[in-house]
Amino acid sequence: MIEVHDVRKAFGAVQALGGVSFTARDGQITALLGPNGAGKTTLLRTLVGLLERDHGSISVGGVDPAKDPMAVRRDIGFLTDQFGLYERLTTREYLDYFGELNGMQRTSLRTRIAEVSELLGMDDILERRTKGFSQGQRIKVALARTLLHRPRHLLLDEPSRGLDVMSTRALRTALTALRADGCCVIMATHVMQEVTALCEDVIVIARGHTVAQGSPEELCRRTGIANLEDAFVSLVGTEEGIA
Amino acid sequence: MRSKLLVVFFKELRETLREKRTLSMLLLFTLMYPAIIGYVMHQMIDKNTRTEREGVELAIIGGAQAPTLVSQLRQKNVTINQVAPMSDEAIGALLHARKTAAVLRLSEDFVDNYSAMRPARIELWFDSAAENGPQRRQIEEILQAYGSNIASARLLAHGVSPAALSPIQVQRYDTGTNASRSAMVIGGIIGILFFPAFMLTMSAAVDSTAGERERRSLEVLMAQPAHSWELVCGKWLAASVPAIVGVTLELLLAHALLAWLPLEEIGMSWSLGWGQMLLVCLVTAPLSLLSAALYIALAMNAKSFKEAQTMLSFVMIVPLIPGFAVSALELKTASWMYLVPTLSNHTLLKELAKSSELGALPFVLTFLSSLVPALLVAAFAAWRMKSERYVLAV
Repeated sequence: MIEVHDVRKAFGAVQALGGVSFTARDGQITALLGPNGAGKTTLLRTLVGLLERDHGSISVGGVDPAKDPMAVRRDIGFLTDQFGLYERLTTREYLDYFGELNGMQRTSLRTRIAEVSELLGMDDILERRTKGFSQGQRIKVALARTLLHRPRHLLLDEPSRGLDVMSTRALRTALTALRADGCCVIMATHVMQEVTALCEDVIVIARGHTVAQGSPEELCRRTGIANLEDAFVSLVGTEEGIA
Repeated sequence: MRSKLLVVFFKELRETLREKRTLSMLLLFTLMYPAIIGYVMHQMIDKNTRTEREGVELAIIGGAQAPTLVSQLRQKNVTINQVAPMSDEAIGALLHARKTAAVLRLSEDFVDNYSAMRPARIELWFDSAAENGPQRRQIEEILQAYGSNIASARLLAHGVSPAALSPIQVQRYDTGTNASRSAMVIGGIIGILFFPAFMLTMSAAVDSTAGERERRSLEVLMAQPAHSWELVCGKWLAASVPAIVGVTLELLLAHALLAWLPLEEIGMSWSLGWGQMLLVCLVTAPLSLLSAALYIALAMNAKSFKEAQTMLSFVMIVPLIPGFAVSALELKTASWMYLVPTLSNHTLLKELAKSSELGALPFVLTFLSSLVPALLVAAFAAWRMKSERYVLAV
């Protein structure tokens, strides 16, 4: 469970987060919607303790990332919006590296890599060096890395970008499996279809503020618009008018 | 569970070793500098011992007119080659072919002038572009001595003491001992042996900081449950390894070469043993640590590999400055020199080449002069990586 209450963060004169509050429950996939520049990256970085908030409270599984970032990070799988692989390492070596950084043993790592690889359908690239991987292959490797240490919380920034149909389905299966395991998943995305298909809960943020939280149906009902995309635009648009 | 620092260390080292450029640089520097030094020393020895080895070859035209001169030359171990009269061009060609150190030409009226006590002309032809200065000087000295002998004999015949010709007497004393001369020459040249400590750390240091930032993998790494000091120190130590290995091999190779070369032939000494050389290698290891720490602290702030490389190529010159300053100002070795990184290593090796009696202090100072700043810079880099300003820029 991730609980965020009135979190604010300013960089000099720029107010990146002006008051974000939400609750993401275990066993649910929570969508994080927001236009570019809404403060999603800042929010996710604050959740893993890379940035310190100016105001408010955060609890990731009962732990405050400002107080014990290491404990929070051990329990979080973080897929950033931009990421690079290490071109001179193979996929397995890449996964070994991050597994060991998360304190995993060599033997348990081997079995876990096999599991994750099967889940994401990436056995064919496991022993290859990551140089020259396609966008889809790169996302798979990065996703495998986030799932590797069995975190209870997942922060995924656009996990489905660049994936082909088969891989998207694999990702969906993986997310469903995580939900069934009782994980708390927060997924930033721009694909409304995915939100409707996967997410129980939606957080909409714009200009550093939480604009709305609720199930897709609730959001549609509140705005009186049947289509989630139109509802999202209307939520963001009206709120921007006020701010 | 392995420590996070070691996890980072081994991963970075593995990546570095998979890069061909790093390995070829390592090989190049390990071999290049000892080879340069070996070659230069060999050339010096060769040049200085040539006269002794080969003797002096001299061609004489019209030598029959001065049999005393010829026999005096022969006594001084000069190989005389009597040749027939030839044109100026032919003499030039003969000298150009380096068959002979010089050509003496006695004019045809030599005997007449000699008997009449007029200056009898002897032409000395030489090629100043040829590397036979010492041989030529020897011939000139013999000619000088021949001239003064005749003058003395003539003065005696007139009842004048030959001492009147030498109002002063110059006696030369050279206080430069073999060892101090050796220190000057070797001392200048061995400074370059420490330079690879600043070359071999660069690529790994830049790749694991600015490179990682450019490839956008740094944010993920920083979001892992590892402290920033563990990340920085792992990268720092991994970047130091190629330089420590390279410099150690290079120093040992240079030592083997200098110990093997017959330096005593040119009055020089290399009075180090293998044990001392290993100690020098040990106290030089922190120099690589310092350069890696410096590069990491600087390169982590660069946004791209290229930017970092440009910045560091300026920084790379800094360690050369103290060495140049000291040799330009001709400063005598002083204790403070053991406190300046690079200069301390250079001074230590220079003094050891001269004499083995140094004591432990210079070793300890040299070791610490690099290690302490290296630790401070690495701590600074770790502190910097933790700062919010840095996270934002990643």
